[in-house]
Amino acid sequence: MTGRDLVNAVVDEARRSGAEASEAYFERSEDVTIEVRDGAMENLKVAQESGVGIRILRSGCLGFAYTSDRSWTALREAVDAALANARVASSDPFNNLPKPPAAYAGMNLGDPRLKEIPLEDKIELARRIERSGRAYDPRIQITEQAAYEESHYQVSIANSLGVSASDEGSFCGGGASLVAGADGEQQSGFGIQYTRNYAELDPEAIGREAAFKAVRLLGARRLPTKRAAVVFDPYVVTNFLAVLSSALTAEAAQKGRSLFAGKVGERVAAAGVTVIDDGALPGGLMSAPFDGEGVPSRRTILIQDGKLTGFLQNSYTGAKDGLASTGNASRGSYKSTPELGSTNFYLAPGELTQEQIIRQTDEGIYLTDVMGMHTVNPISGDFSVGAAGIWIEHGELTTPVRGMVIAGNMLELLEGIDAVGSDLRFFIGKGAPTVRVARLTISGQ
Amino acid sequence: MENIYTSYENNGGKRVLDKSELEEILRVAQRGSDFAEVFMERTESTRIGCEARQIERVISGREQGAGIRAVHGENTAYGYTNALDKESLLRLADQVGRAAQAGEVSPVALQRRESPVDLPVARRPDATPVEDKVALVREAEEAARRQDEKLLRQVTVGYADTIQQVTIANTEGVYVEDERVRCRMSVNAVAAEGTVIQTGYDSVGGTRGEELFDGEKPADLGRQAARRALLMLKARRAPAGRMAVVLSGEAGGTMVHEACGHGLEADLAQKNLSVYSGKKGAQVASELVTVVDDGTLPGRFGSFRFDDEGNPAQKTVLIDQGILTGYMHDHITAARDGVAPTGNGRRQSFQHRPIPRMSTTYLAPGETPPEEIIRETKSGLLVRHMGGGQVNTINGDFVFDVPEGYLIENGEVTAPVRGATLTGNGPDVLKQIDLVGKDFGFSLGICGKEGQGVPVSDAQPTIRIPSLVVGGIIEDDIVEEGEGD
Repeated sequence: MTGRDLVNAVVDEARRSGAEASEAYFERSEDVTIEVRDGAMENLKVAQESGVGIRILRSGCLGFAYTSDRSWTALREAVDAALANARVASSDPFNNLPKPPAAYAGMNLGDPRLKEIPLEDKIELARRIERSGRAYDPRIQITEQAAYEESHYQVSIANSLGVSASDEGSFCGGGASLVAGADGEQQSGFGIQYTRNYAELDPEAIGREAAFKAVRLLGARRLPTKRAAVVFDPYVVTNFLAVLSSALTAEAAQKGRSLFAGKVGERVAAAGVTVIDDGALPGGLMSAPFDGEGVPSRRTILIQDGKLTGFLQNSYTGAKDGLASTGNASRGSYKSTPELGSTNFYLAPGELTQEQIIRQTDEGIYLTDVMGMHTVNPISGDFSVGAAGIWIEHGELTTPVRGMVIAGNMLELLEGIDAVGSDLRFFIGKGAPTVRVARLTISGQ
Repeated sequence: MENIYTSYENNGGKRVLDKSELEEILRVAQRGSDFAEVFMERTESTRIGCEARQIERVISGREQGAGIRAVHGENTAYGYTNALDKESLLRLADQVGRAAQAGEVSPVALQRRESPVDLPVARRPDATPVEDKVALVREAEEAARRQDEKLLRQVTVGYADTIQQVTIANTEGVYVEDERVRCRMSVNAVAAEGTVIQTGYDSVGGTRGEELFDGEKPADLGRQAARRALLMLKARRAPAGRMAVVLSGEAGGTMVHEACGHGLEADLAQKNLSVYSGKKGAQVASELVTVVDDGTLPGRFGSFRFDDEGNPAQKTVLIDQGILTGYMHDHITAARDGVAPTGNGRRQSFQHRPIPRMSTTYLAPGETPPEEIIRETKSGLLVRHMGGGQVNTINGDFVFDVPEGYLIENGEVTAPVRGATLTGNGPDVLKQIDLVGKDFGFSLGICGKEGQGVPVSDAQPTIRIPSLVVGGIIEDDIVEEGEGD
């Protein structure tokens, strides 16, 4: 039975069992991971997984159940469990399932040759990542990880209003985490690249980036506490974007869990700051023709030139706000209900190169690593994170620093952005250029 | 316990696996390599989510699958599938065996193993109606709301139970059937006044059944979470800079888990990825410090009868009065060091290979009354509830947030402070600890490593760290905010 047939059969079964509205979601994936160390393969992982998640609506109450067992008995038990769960859930008039769209966009989301490329080539690719990193500098002494990974997936969704859709695709990537050592001190750095197209992978660039980042932190020390400029590396910006993306969901706003609640139309960031979610981005790692409920993916501007223009929506939050879903229903897997999540979420690039931004900074930190992003309070926006990077004096990178703490508030940070770089780079689902914030507290000694 | 697959229909209704079939699969997976293993799992779970006074999510699920591992020298091949029929597993075993080592097939004889650890379950979650679980969630929600109907803007309650049934068999003859029952509940409260918004959190969890929630436990959780959020509304911003930090026993052992535990996991230590690599026998901490990992503690969230390689849980002393005495091992790291496994080979599920992980990790109590530790601290920060943390095991640097902190002034606990984070270095902190209390408090969580989450607990007495960097806002900001309010 194909995934599409399976989900349609489950929706029919739910209807027979008395569900007013129902939805079935099927997912199947096959993954390969290769890890090498010291030139030899250390770990190989091959995986296949599939399962079905069933959502049922009954008098406005929502029930959910999932199973990895696709036997008809197990599927019927899951339908019954979802119905039973709906009986104890609270009724909510905004619970709804989407109607079928006119059409879904065709997307080319995979590399059809990926499965044909021999395993040996992929192992060699991981070895090349490690080799180029180790060769970059004699102080690179330990491989924490050097890996190649690929994933093939297939998704089908059907609901009782007539949605019936399927999608498949693949992606692959490489990553390295390398450790540099000198004078009894160790520092690590990472490099990463994910793509829809195997030929685009550049193993040497991944290895060199990891080595470069590890070596540049050697000799890092703590400086005295100061208020100064902070130049955020694109990767660090994406860490903050992860917090922003959840604060920019309609769910967070509706439940008073967002620092942006009630601020649509207001200025929430400096001019020049534009934040976009684009589920249809060509070649995007998080692109798909439809979201976790079968709503077509699209591009949504959330902050335009500093002004808040809206929130990410799914069918439920959209109904509550009287707005359409933005196609941002996301599922962690078949085991989760569709919630709200970003797709390809990024800060739009500006004009300056990273080098120009650093050169125009009199004193501050070029921030390359943050720790403890989970401590950012998504409601108040207060944050206080561990920081490492390179100190900037008179437009020049000087000494590496670590063990510092950067504290402030997300809104202050967004309003304080005074330079946006042109170097937009994606780290899987989040993308950003270099960004400078005029003044933040950098605590040290 | 009966074989967990006998009563269950597989994909396509195919037959279940018995011991001799497992032996056959192991032979195919091993193919002349050093070691092969099959891990079969069936997990049933219930999750309930309550927010905005609504029971929003009621989710039940079943997941099953098997992971097969072959190890040869330093090479590990791992594969997993949802398909539990013999043909699918033989195919996977062949694929995994080839990847590790192609060689001769040798016989395997499985011997059933028992564990000395007893983890009784009084009321099974799968025998408890979902209505009763919803009632527990409501109890927590309402108790939180009652703390202050006006200032509490939001109360979120999460409930989860899992019953994980596993069968573990390997080419060394180990055969284990086990069932792990866990329940957990957490409450998150949001309080708001003017422009200030603060949150409070509390949770409970155990390797136990529904009896975990007896004695008004859900209401206690709700009250604690609400109290913390309301307290932090009145708190001033934490000071920034270096100061003495007293971690209260009530705060639990998150610090010892993050700042020391991870570095004592043998995989990291063996690869020179830990600040504790090659330090066995060395003085790595103040002599007041004894650190233990113990998976046998009754009912704790991090406890288990067997680890995920079929070794019984045990008590392992990691640091004895400041001297590093051992690491936490799984099968592979123990073989590499020529020591016995310590029952720390754990995995999130059949989708993952086991790696060395903590169970319940604690800093052992000392002799000083906790009140005396505060009295002897002229000025500093008292941490009464610890938030999440992160550690860089390579250099030992860590960061924690402090959801409930107070100033200590002239040996007395004074104003509550919010927004503090602790930044420091694990080995440095262990050496600095100069006072260890005689009290003892636990905390729990899901610990993440290499993309795998496993349930853990941790504990510690009240301790004093003479000098830590507290991140906050420096003085001119506090003044600005005071004026703004």
